[in-house]
Amino acid sequence: MPRSLEAALDIAYKDLHQFWRMKMLFVTFLLMPIVLMTLFGFMFPTVGTSNPYSGKIAAPYRHIQVGIVVEDGGGLAYSVADQFKQISSSMGLLDVREYASLGAAREEIVKGRLKGVVVIPYGFSEALASNRQAAITVTMDDTSAQLASTIYSEISMILGMISEGFSHSIIVKLDPSMDASFAVEPITVERKSLISGTTSTFEFLAPGFMALTMVMGTLSGLGAAIAREKEQGTMDGILVAPISSYAIIAGKVAAQTVRAMIQASIILGIAMIFFGVRIYGSPLLMLLVMILGVSSFIGIGIIATSMAAEQETAMTLLMLLQIPSMFICNIMFPIEQLPSWLQAVGRALPLYYAADGLRKVIVLNASLSQISPDLTILLIYSIVTLGIAIPIFRRSLTR
Amino acid sequence: MDAIIETHGLTKRFNGFTAVDHVNFDVREGEIFGFLGPNGAGKSTTIRMLCTLTKPSEGTATIKGYDIVREAEQVRRIIGLVAEKLILYPYLTGAENLRFFGRLYGLRGRQLEERIEELLEMVLLTRFKDFPVGGYSSGMRQRLNIIRGLIHDPEILFLDEPTTMLDPQSVRFIRDLIKELKNRGKTIILTTHIMEEAEELSDRVGIIDHGKIIALDTPEDLKQRYGCSSLHEVFLELTGRTLRDHVSNSIPVRRTIGRV
Repeated sequence: MPRSLEAALDIAYKDLHQFWRMKMLFVTFLLMPIVLMTLFGFMFPTVGTSNPYSGKIAAPYRHIQVGIVVEDGGGLAYSVADQFKQISSSMGLLDVREYASLGAAREEIVKGRLKGVVVIPYGFSEALASNRQAAITVTMDDTSAQLASTIYSEISMILGMISEGFSHSIIVKLDPSMDASFAVEPITVERKSLISGTTSTFEFLAPGFMALTMVMGTLSGLGAAIAREKEQGTMDGILVAPISSYAIIAGKVAAQTVRAMIQASIILGIAMIFFGVRIYGSPLLMLLVMILGVSSFIGIGIIATSMAAEQETAMTLLMLLQIPSMFICNIMFPIEQLPSWLQAVGRALPLYYAADGLRKVIVLNASLSQISPDLTILLIYSIVTLGIAIPIFRRSLTR
Repeated sequence: MDAIIETHGLTKRFNGFTAVDHVNFDVREGEIFGFLGPNGAGKSTTIRMLCTLTKPSEGTATIKGYDIVREAEQVRRIIGLVAEKLILYPYLTGAENLRFFGRLYGLRGRQLEERIEELLEMVLLTRFKDFPVGGYSSGMRQRLNIIRGLIHDPEILFLDEPTTMLDPQSVRFIRDLIKELKNRGKTIILTTHIMEEAEELSDRVGIIDHGKIIALDTPEDLKQRYGCSSLHEVFLELTGRTLRDHVSNSIPVRRTIGRV
């Protein structure tokens, strides 16, 4: 084995060994991805798909308090109200309570106890009985527009189901030979995934978080590892030894890459065990994307640490890059939500391609050639940033 | 005795400030060379250049015939550095620290382990070798720090303020260790602000001020020449009694990070 490679391995081993001994840092390091995944697991639950482990349907919001007011005294009105309550409770989405009047329910909304109220107005039963369209009104707590619109769509979905039930019975009455399902819904829509099995937001989030933690972990880890040695003075001990400065960089980077892989594996593990994510693609290809992802960022980390005099400056500098990357690189939410100029910035950063490549491999079983655009961009980034960083780093060592 | 270190117009400038100004001196093989000077006089920079940690702006130096810039790798094999800041990882044990640095010099296996045992014994740290260095007392750390610089059995050892801030017992032990190293044939460049230490240990002293060597001789000859009773007085006589306060607008990285 060449001397430089040996020295790089010695430095990598020393860094990891030291890291292992810093128990507090090590535990925090392991907790980070766990907290991140658990937190986002509950923030963005899977929508409309059944969890293979619990069998329950997940919904963005559960047990939302909703009122129902039956103004109409007819039998049909009560039948609709009962069906509404029954369907709501069986789906676990809404908790429905009956109120005597809209005024009473409205007061509860103002007090914040109800998020919406369904009103079956006077004349509802009569309209249906005399073959006219009957109306139901829904009033939402408009202080939270996002919640209101989600709950409104849940309510109207349930009422739609009830309405369809009526259509069925009407059609059967009119023409018994007719297929009632066809008459109610002549066109059905079925969503077919690119992959088998159910998908969830985690197919989007997990690879994104893997890329994000790797990048953040290596950037701050590498910065800290180099800056600490410079500040403590131990770097001089390494520099005065007959090894090349490339071995120092390689050793430091290797140690950080191992750390990044550990964190990414924790994220993937949690996503697989608790949130039903499966790896459809090749693990080797996944590893390749991860390594290229890390190397595309390492150079930037080295430049920042070489230029900054002390650790904190380097960390702050890197933070300036990490925080925006988190939001605009298609990690937490789809990049399509951003204004187009911001999308362009996001697509110019390597994190976007690392997350994209990982998603395609993990979720869509993409082949090497299918993700080659991502890999090429990551490779170009790696070459360019390392090409700039290594001479700067070497000069900073012997200034 | 032959010169083992020779400098030829060695110069270092930082942003227009000349820290070391065409310095010429030599260190003879097997001697203890006391390298003295007020703070900011240029000692640390000179030593960093000799240790290949900083490149000279002008001039050069040779160590055992090897050029410090062009043949840095050969120079590194024959020098050991005990800097003012401890070169030790507090979370690793004494033995692990020595093993890491030993490996950087290409030492492996039995040879390395034997060397570690031998050095630990020399500074009476064998008992503590498996404890993290962070738990050592200052004196123990410095003893370990010194043998770390000796791990590859260098011919030349740079010692920067090896006894600062230590208790009298540790100071005595380390001074005796330095003498012992000289007896074993090592060449030692000793930087210190403690004039008694320089006087006790040094065969010759070089005094640097404002980036220039202003005196170089045995302590005895210097005392005679300037009519002083101690090296301490010679030093103040030569470098003056005024404080050397100096600031610059830009803080060089090296200054925030530390000296040598």
